Amino acid sequence: MGIPLESAGKPNVQDYSCGTECTWCDGCGDYGIMAAAKRALVELGLAPHEVLLCFDIGCHGNMSDKMLGYRVHGLHGRVLPFASGAKLANPNMPVMAFGGDGASFSEGVNHLVHSIRSHYPITFVLHNNANFGLTTGQASALTWQNQPMNTSPNGIPEDTLRSMDFIFSLQPTFVARTWSGDIPQMTRVFKAALQHRGFAFIDVLQACPTYNKFTSHEWLLEHCYDANAEGLDPSDREAGKAIACDTAERVGCGILYQTEDIPHFYERLVPRQNVKTTPVEEVAITDVSDLMKEFV
Amino acid sequence: MNRISFKVTGAQGQGINSVGEMVAKGLKRAGHHVFGYREYNSVIKGGHSSYQLDICDCHIESSETKVDMLVCLNYIGLKRDLGSIKKGGVLFHLIPDWKFSKEDQQLLDSNQIQILYLPMEKILKEHNSRPIVGNMCVTAVVWGLLGRNYETLKTMAAAQFAQKGEEVIALNHTFIDEGKKFKEDAAGDIAIEVPTADAKRTDDLLVTGSEAMGMGMVHAGCRMYCGYPMTPASPLLKYIADKQNETNMVVKQAEDEITAIQMVSGAMHMGTRAATATSGGGYDLMSETLSLNGIIENPSVMVLAMRQGPSTGLPTWSGQGDMLLTIFGSHGEYPRLVMSVSDAEDSFTLMPDAFNFAEKYQLPVTILTDKHIAEGLYMQPQYDLKKATIDRGVVTDQKELDTLTSADRYNPSATGGVSPRWLPGAKAATYCAQGDEHDGEGNVDETGENAIAQMDKRMRKMETMKAVLPEPELYVADDESGKLSVVRGQLSDVPELDVLVVSWGSNKGCILDALQPTIDNRQSTTGYLHYTYLWPLKTEKLEALAKKAKKTIFVEATYQGQLAMLIKMETGLTFDHQILKYDGRPFFLNELQEKLLTINS
Repeated sequence: MGIPLESAGKPNVQDYSCGTECTWCDGCGDYGIMAAAKRALVELGLAPHEVLLCFDIGCHGNMSDKMLGYRVHGLHGRVLPFASGAKLANPNMPVMAFGGDGASFSEGVNHLVHSIRSHYPITFVLHNNANFGLTTGQASALTWQNQPMNTSPNGIPEDTLRSMDFIFSLQPTFVARTWSGDIPQMTRVFKAALQHRGFAFIDVLQACPTYNKFTSHEWLLEHCYDANAEGLDPSDREAGKAIACDTAERVGCGILYQTEDIPHFYERLVPRQNVKTTPVEEVAITDVSDLMKEFV
Repeated sequence: MNRISFKVTGAQGQGINSVGEMVAKGLKRAGHHVFGYREYNSVIKGGHSSYQLDICDCHIESSETKVDMLVCLNYIGLKRDLGSIKKGGVLFHLIPDWKFSKEDQQLLDSNQIQILYLPMEKILKEHNSRPIVGNMCVTAVVWGLLGRNYETLKTMAAAQFAQKGEEVIALNHTFIDEGKKFKEDAAGDIAIEVPTADAKRTDDLLVTGSEAMGMGMVHAGCRMYCGYPMTPASPLLKYIADKQNETNMVVKQAEDEITAIQMVSGAMHMGTRAATATSGGGYDLMSETLSLNGIIENPSVMVLAMRQGPSTGLPTWSGQGDMLLTIFGSHGEYPRLVMSVSDAEDSFTLMPDAFNFAEKYQLPVTILTDKHIAEGLYMQPQYDLKKATIDRGVVTDQKELDTLTSADRYNPSATGGVSPRWLPGAKAATYCAQGDEHDGEGNVDETGENAIAQMDKRMRKMETMKAVLPEPELYVADDESGKLSVVRGQLSDVPELDVLVVSWGSNKGCILDALQPTIDNRQSTTGYLHYTYLWPLKTEKLEALAKKAKKTIFVEATYQGQLAMLIKMETGLTFDHQILKYDGRPFFLNELQEKLLTINS
């Protein structure tokens, strides 16, 4: 898996580079996630003008002007409906949505629920650093208990949300877990997600050296392993779910569950069967004389 | 203007609308002018609801407070609505052995009300039928009292129940015959004279504001609709959803209003035309996204169908109290367009304009409507489908795309503040639609100089757009016909008026009907200035007219008089009189006429 820096005619990683300086902390997992995202897009032959990348609000959202591509940096918690709406307007366009664990499991958790059950054909990258980083380290729903955090000096009184139990309960068609220090694995997972038929959920465990003292880069390096390399077959839902939910000793990564048998949202729309054009292409003054007839 | 009216009252779920709608259609097809008005409560079964049909020899868009005939399908109307029958009118009801109270009997006697009792229960028993079929019998009696032809009604019933088969049609025909028989046997010489028909109007549409708006959106090239149910915006969602297999539109009932507006925003950003509609509470939820669309200069079109708040308020009633919300709501300062429809005509014709403004100036557009328009039944000439044009302001030419740089997207020195917009997927330099303050290409830039440059750029679009927005329309009575019509021409030759009435939205229909010179003094000249575009607000014409008018009157269905507040803010102008109401009901014809007369006397 070489990095194609220059290849005549084909997109390369430098096509996605822009001159904006990165503003993440040293050791932030976002560097690795951005590198993997670029690599995945390039390896799939996608040029910057051929993709829509949608970002939520949070540290990861500052990626929106650190790479090229058609990008959107919207509201906190709302990246999924924006990205889904965009995708339905032009189903030919690959759409990636990026959001943090704060946005995705607090402010916008309803969107996560409904995006999975709606089977929107988009890729969702969860930047999971288990805290609200950009607002200086408050606890999120995924923060461990007994961790003093900004605004929770005694740790959180709530339970930590069991995110993988929750995700699997929504009948997903693609669930992966990877981590910000493993660029080749992230690249492999992102590529598979972009090629997935429906909604792809990718939990990227992300190092946050400034605010997350419980799952550091070193901790992740020690605990994460490639479950596919150890024989997990992504078509085995129960095995995948078991590995996803059991993180007591080790954290299984890779494509944990995938099925290509479930039609996505757009494929289920009766009015769009056998329609070759996209809603973007169809905008025109439209004759409604047939619609008027019922009112005469 | 010669007009009559009748009202059907009953519980929700009893089928009162079916009676009104069938009669409305029959009268419309014969060329009679009709206007239908519904009242109902926020319940599925029970409650007390009504359907009023006003019939006239010319175009009307208003309801009278008193009717020539009251039809009561249950006893509640008999207890509550007797006062709404005109002197010499008819009370037609289905309640066996009903004893009126002493006061009610006196009222009926002194108003010389003729009472007609239809033994519905008995008829249903004879045919062993469900109560709902009885509505066809009621319709037939009303039909007969209005002097209509029964064969026409049978043809219409056959068409309405064509899908349900011969048996259902035959049953309905039986009940039409029962109604006919009752009318002939029991009604004696009771009859209601219907005003003259106009043979030219038989091909008109009979359409609600919501249906008109739905067709208008389809006509405007809207290809995606996302909504979350909320009265009175739901009828639009229902209409568009019901037609999806014909229009091939992408229709999504979203998980909440935030999702609906976000999906619409994503779809518009990608480059299709998309819309959503909600009422006040849903609009509150959507307003953060409007602010986003303001800064990323993303076109969006949303409908706010008003009911009276605050909070859940009067959920199935009407009002105009959300206007200032659409103008000042949502955080930060950003350019926006707020416009309002007034009836089934502009609910259709303004849709292409709304999308054109949104796309050309790259900003959020809010279209105001209200429960009265959304569910009012209008008689409307077939729409002219040749008139609308499409103006997207999107760069699609590859040669032009090749010359673009990322920094062109939000170029702060763009003429009129309107910088080039090109769509994701276009083979061109890419940019970021950046919700943080940003430079030309969408990179975050928090410097003071940049903040000023970008704010100036965006707000400049308001001035650019304001320059091309139409002024409010002035209606003045024609000397010959007396009918109020729009005055065209230069601002410099505005007429001198005795009375200038100013309003917006659904009030227009009632105001134009109320100002017909049969009621108003012929010697005085009254003009009605109707605002369609509310923000940015054009005031030149208003100021010129108000300066010359002897008296200015402001009409609105709010407590505060919101457009008057806005006008005062913009011009310092105040009105001599304000007619305001906030009981959830629209303005009724006689009510408004009386208020105008009081002011004018």
